[in-house]
Amino acid sequence: MNKSKFNITPFLFIGPAVLLLFVFSFAPILVSLGISFTDMNLSGLANWSQINFVGLDNFIQLFQDEKFLQAMGNTFFYVIIGVPLAVASSLLIAVLLNFFNNWVSSTFRVVYYVPSITNIVAIAVVWSFLYNQEYGLFNYLLSLINVDSVPWLEEPVVARLSLILLAVWKSNGVSMLIFLAALQSIPKIYYEAADIDGANRWHKFFKITLPSMSFATFFVTVTTLIGWLQFFEEPFVMTNGGPLNGTNSMALFIYQEGFQYSQFGYGAAASFVLFAIVIVATLVQFKLRKTD
Amino acid sequence: MKQKRLGFLLVVMLGAMLVLGACSSGGSSGGSADEDTITVWTMTPELEDFVKEYEDESGVKVEVQAIPWDNAHDKLLTAVASGKGPDVLQIGTTWVAEFAEAGTFLDLSDYIDEYPNFNPDNFYESAVETTKYDGQTIGIPWYVDTRVLYYRTDLLEEVGYPEGPETWDDVKDAATQLAARGDDQYGIEIPQVDQNFPFMLAWEQGWQYEEGEGAANFEKPGFKEGVELHHTFFEEGMAQLTEGKQLYQAFSDGSKPMFFSGPWEINSINEQIPELEGQWDVHVMPEAENNNSMIGGAHWTVFNNTDKVDQALDFINWMADPETQVAWYDTVTELPANMEAWEDPKLAEDEKISTFGEQLESTQAVPVIPEFETMAQELIDTLEQINRNDADIDEALEEYRNQVSSILSK
Repeated sequence: MNKSKFNITPFLFIGPAVLLLFVFSFAPILVSLGISFTDMNLSGLANWSQINFVGLDNFIQLFQDEKFLQAMGNTFFYVIIGVPLAVASSLLIAVLLNFFNNWVSSTFRVVYYVPSITNIVAIAVVWSFLYNQEYGLFNYLLSLINVDSVPWLEEPVVARLSLILLAVWKSNGVSMLIFLAALQSIPKIYYEAADIDGANRWHKFFKITLPSMSFATFFVTVTTLIGWLQFFEEPFVMTNGGPLNGTNSMALFIYQEGFQYSQFGYGAAASFVLFAIVIVATLVQFKLRKTD
Repeated sequence: MKQKRLGFLLVVMLGAMLVLGACSSGGSSGGSADEDTITVWTMTPELEDFVKEYEDESGVKVEVQAIPWDNAHDKLLTAVASGKGPDVLQIGTTWVAEFAEAGTFLDLSDYIDEYPNFNPDNFYESAVETTKYDGQTIGIPWYVDTRVLYYRTDLLEEVGYPEGPETWDDVKDAATQLAARGDDQYGIEIPQVDQNFPFMLAWEQGWQYEEGEGAANFEKPGFKEGVELHHTFFEEGMAQLTEGKQLYQAFSDGSKPMFFSGPWEINSINEQIPELEGQWDVHVMPEAENNNSMIGGAHWTVFNNTDKVDQALDFINWMADPETQVAWYDTVTELPANMEAWEDPKLAEDEKISTFGEQLESTQAVPVIPEFETMAQELIDTLEQINRNDADIDEALEEYRNQVSSILSK
């Protein structure tokens, strides 16, 4: 009696979490995997007898769909430029903030964190004004130093870069906090020992600071990478994927197919391609970390 | 001690279950159980106060739930999927086909004779057209909406069109002169993401969409002429291709003295740029072969599995009454679908609104097919290729026809 009670307690503790995880995470993933092999659309939603199994058709069609391939290319563009930029800039901010231990540090911590907790719609309104080609602040500043106006959101490649800039600005806050916490947990004695050995600032940064933060860096890189692969909000509110489909991301493509055109089967298939890419990218990172 | 903790845990879990349970029963809105209450979903919040008069007259309680347009599509999807919807719901004309195909609405064909205000002859013909899907009548028109030309009278007088341009050639002539005023000056604002606009241009060149012909529709010469007209404005600098200034600012400083829009713009221009009063007017769409504009707006429909069909229809009958329609116009300036309502002095004596009335005589609906939205979006992408990427019009249209045939074969 006593023994069985002992056994059941841990399960009761994790039970609710596992149940919630299953009902709201695993089950939907399985269901959408099923849907991705069907031609389900709005009428199928109302009447299940109209759903047909189409095998791999959706996937085959996806890889012939120029719009999807373009969205995939754009997503990689975002990731390849955005992730290193986001990680490096938040690390830089954290290191700089760590220099000060007074009101400067706490004030700027708040300043850099605010974008992360600001509503994306409010951000979109403000940044649309900043990026506006006619009376935007950025072009005004450029005009002061005699630079021609930049088509911030009107030319595909420039628009992608503009969105990356916005996203980096928005995402810096959280990563910065993690880096800052890691920086502050590095024992001072390492630096004291290095001082005695006559190491300069750069030595200390590369030989002590960076290695001591490797776990934080790894964590930030993985979460940032996953976040950027699912890049959605910024093109959704700023450009809706345009111009010329140049800022469309995979996540936005899924939204358009699934919720705008009600092609649930096709959308689910696209979301599985994205899911697979996210899993692969994460596994590769874990592998790389192990070999380190 | 251990037992106590277990007890506490059980209480917490039980509590959580109760809370979750309460949420779920609260969420399943559905039609109300009460015999004398109907639930109505609308996208116009003002309806909530508006129905008080009906409640007093009929003794039926109307529960109005206002859904923002942005959420409406998702909300309707959920209602269709779960089978739990309201009794009466508003539907935008462009969503009719998609949701009718999914069997969202009750077929009203058999009830039309029973209620005097349901007579199709009361309404604009093109509005009635959009209530029909697959031989069924799924709704009764509520309000209508169309597009006309807004223009600056002072600036167009300078280029010789004090009454506004009559034909597309006039528009091009006026826009060319106006765009020549200098840098950052344009003649007209041409919509680039409006799904209906390119179709309007094609109609005006004599093009029609025939459902049986599928992608071959887009081989007919009128369609290409419409696309070419669209392209001309950008190619010759009459219209701005990039985002540019906010439209009201451009209209007010004169850099874009013409644009196309719907009836709501009258009030909002009056409110936001009052200093412009007397310097602008509206004109029916410019003419080529004809001057057909699109008809939009919304219908009242009955959700397929409601128990309260009679109450629902009685409510719709009241909403479709000419008097109610005038009162509704008075409340939110949405144009009555009932033609008798247009005889009321409130509408007939307002010059700008009368222009809309005149335009409504020559309107037509976009094809009522579920694929329309996807088809129109592809067309917008195609136009973007032509206007921004200098794609060859013939090649781009051929590519578009391929897209359409694959959309239609899905």
